[in-house]
Amino acid sequence: MFLTSGYKERTQPFWVQLGDLILIQLANWRWSWRGALLTGLVAPLLSTAALGLFARDSGEVALAYILTGNMVMSLLFGTFDRVAAHFAYMRAVGRLDFFATLPIYRSALIVATVIAFLALALPSLILTLAFGTLILDLPLAISPWLLVVVPLIGTSLCGLGALIGLSMETPENVGNVSSLITFVLVGLGPVIIPLDRLPPIIGTISYLSPATYAASALRQTVLGLSDRIPLGVDLLVLALLLIVSLWAVGRKLDWRQG
Amino acid sequence: MTAVYEVSNVTKIYPGQTVPANDAISLAVEPGEIFGLLGDNGAGKSTLVRQMANLLAPTRGTIRLFGQPLGLAPLYVPGMVGYMPQNGMALNNLTVGETLYFTAHLRGLSRRDAKAERERLLDLLDLGPARDRLVPRISGGQRRLALLATTIAASPPVLVLDEPTNDLDPVHRRHVWDVVHDLNHARGTTIILVTHNVIEAERVIQRVGFMRAGRLVAVGRPGALKASLNEHLRLELTFPPGTDPTLPPTVEAREIGPGHWLLVMERAAALAYVAQIETERQVEDFRLSTATLEDLYLALVHNAAPVPEVA
Repeated sequence: MFLTSGYKERTQPFWVQLGDLILIQLANWRWSWRGALLTGLVAPLLSTAALGLFARDSGEVALAYILTGNMVMSLLFGTFDRVAAHFAYMRAVGRLDFFATLPIYRSALIVATVIAFLALALPSLILTLAFGTLILDLPLAISPWLLVVVPLIGTSLCGLGALIGLSMETPENVGNVSSLITFVLVGLGPVIIPLDRLPPIIGTISYLSPATYAASALRQTVLGLSDRIPLGVDLLVLALLLIVSLWAVGRKLDWRQG
Repeated sequence: MTAVYEVSNVTKIYPGQTVPANDAISLAVEPGEIFGLLGDNGAGKSTLVRQMANLLAPTRGTIRLFGQPLGLAPLYVPGMVGYMPQNGMALNNLTVGETLYFTAHLRGLSRRDAKAERERLLDLLDLGPARDRLVPRISGGQRRLALLATTIAASPPVLVLDEPTNDLDPVHRRHVWDVVHDLNHARGTTIILVTHNVIEAERVIQRVGFMRAGRLVAVGRPGALKASLNEHLRLELTFPPGTDPTLPPTVEAREIGPGHWLLVMERAAALAYVAQIETERQVEDFRLSTATLEDLYLALVHNAAPVPEVA
C-alpha cells in the first residue's frame, strides 16, 4: 500500500513541473537560434526592405501593412513553424516517450512548450518591429493592448503548430506542410498587402485565417490604425483558436500509443 | 505479497499488422528481484517492456503494477517505474548535468536533493567529464550511461532497463552490471532487464523469461532451468590448424572460430569422448563444462537442445 500511494510523493505540483519544463524547452535556443535568426528576423526584414522599396509611394497604410504583416510572418516562423517541427521531432527521437516516463502532467508539457517557444520568438519579433520601423520610417502608436495581443497571437499559433506537428507522420512532412501553411496564411488575406489590392474573394476567405486577425490586431496596437475587424473580435478569435488548439493537442498527445 | 508486475494474457498486434508482436504473455515479477527477459531481435521483448512502462497499450490482456491496472491514473506508472529505452536521445538539448537535475527534480526531489542526486549519479557512472556537455555531443557509450543515470535518478522502486549495456566497452559493461546488482541489493529495487548479453547478465539475473517469436517459451530461475540441460555437457574443442575434425554424434555442434568447435553432448557420451581424445591426442585443447545461461538461451530460443518445461 505504501508503494502504490508513493507515486504521489514523487509528483511535483503543476507549477513546479511547469517551471522545469519551460526551462527545458527554453534550452532549445541552443539548436534553434540560427533558424530563428534566419526565418524569424532576416526573412521578415528582407521582405520589409524589398516590399517597402516598391510601396514607398503607396502611402502610409501600405507601409503599415508591410510592417505588421512581416511581424506576423516573424511570429508564424517563430511559433507555428518551429513548434510544429519541435513536436514532430520530439516524437521521432523518443523525447515524448521520455516525458511520458516522468510523473508530469501532459498539460504542463504543452503549456510549457507554448510559453517557451513564444519567449524564443520574441527577440526576432521585437527586432523586426524596431528595424522595420526604421526602414519604413513609420510613426509608432503602441497601445498597452500589445502586451495582450502578442502573447495571444504567439500562443495560439504555437497551439496550431503543435497540432500540425503531432498530426504528421515524419518530421520531414511537418517541415514541408508547416512552411506551406505559413505562406498560405500570409498570402490568403490582408496581412502584408492591403485588402483593396487583393481579389474580392480573398477578403471573404481571409476570415478563415488566423493570420488575418493577428495582422489586424497588430495594426491596431502597434500603429493605432482602425481596421475592418475590431480589436475585440481579433482577441476573441485568437483566444478561441488558442483554447481549441490546446484542447486538441491535449487529446492528440496521448502518449500511451495504441 | 503482491507481485510488482502481473502480466496476464497480454497480446499486442500493431495497427496494420496481422502477426502479433507478442502473444498471450503471462508472467509475474516479484518484489526485489532482477528479472531477465531474453530473446532474439524481434522476439517481442521491447514491445512487452514498453507495455509494462505504459507507453504502449496491449491489444488484449491486462498488466497490473503492485495490483493496480496500468492506465487508470496517468502519473502512477511514471511515479513508480524508471524506464530506459533501447534507443532514444531523451533531452538532447540539455547537458548531461542538466538532464540529471531536471529528471531528479521532476521525480519529486527538492532542488537541493536533486542537485545532490545529480552529483551522485555523475560520480557513480563515471560521467563527471561529460557533466557540462550537451547530450548529442558525447560518445555513444557515455550517452548510454547518461540514459541509465537518468533512468535511475531519484531511485524509482521499479526499473525497466532495455539493453543497458549496448554501446559500452567491457569495463563499463562490467560496471553497469555492478550498479544494477547494487541497486537491487542495497535498495531492494525491482529490475526488469532486457539484454542480448546473456553471459554477462547471468551474474545478476535471479529469474529469467525466454521469448521466441512473440511468445514466452520459458520462465524460471536460471539454475532450475539449466538443471534440465545438465544431462548435457558443453565441450569446446580446438583442433590443430589444417585438421579436418571428425566429430562424435552430438545434440548440437557449432564452429565458433577457425578450428574451434562447441559441442553440446549427452553427459556419458561427452565423458567417454574426452577420455578418447586424451588418449589419441588429436585435439590441441578442450574445455568441458556444465550448461550456461547462453546454452539455455540457444536451446530455448533456437531449439538447438531439449527444451525444459515452462515453469
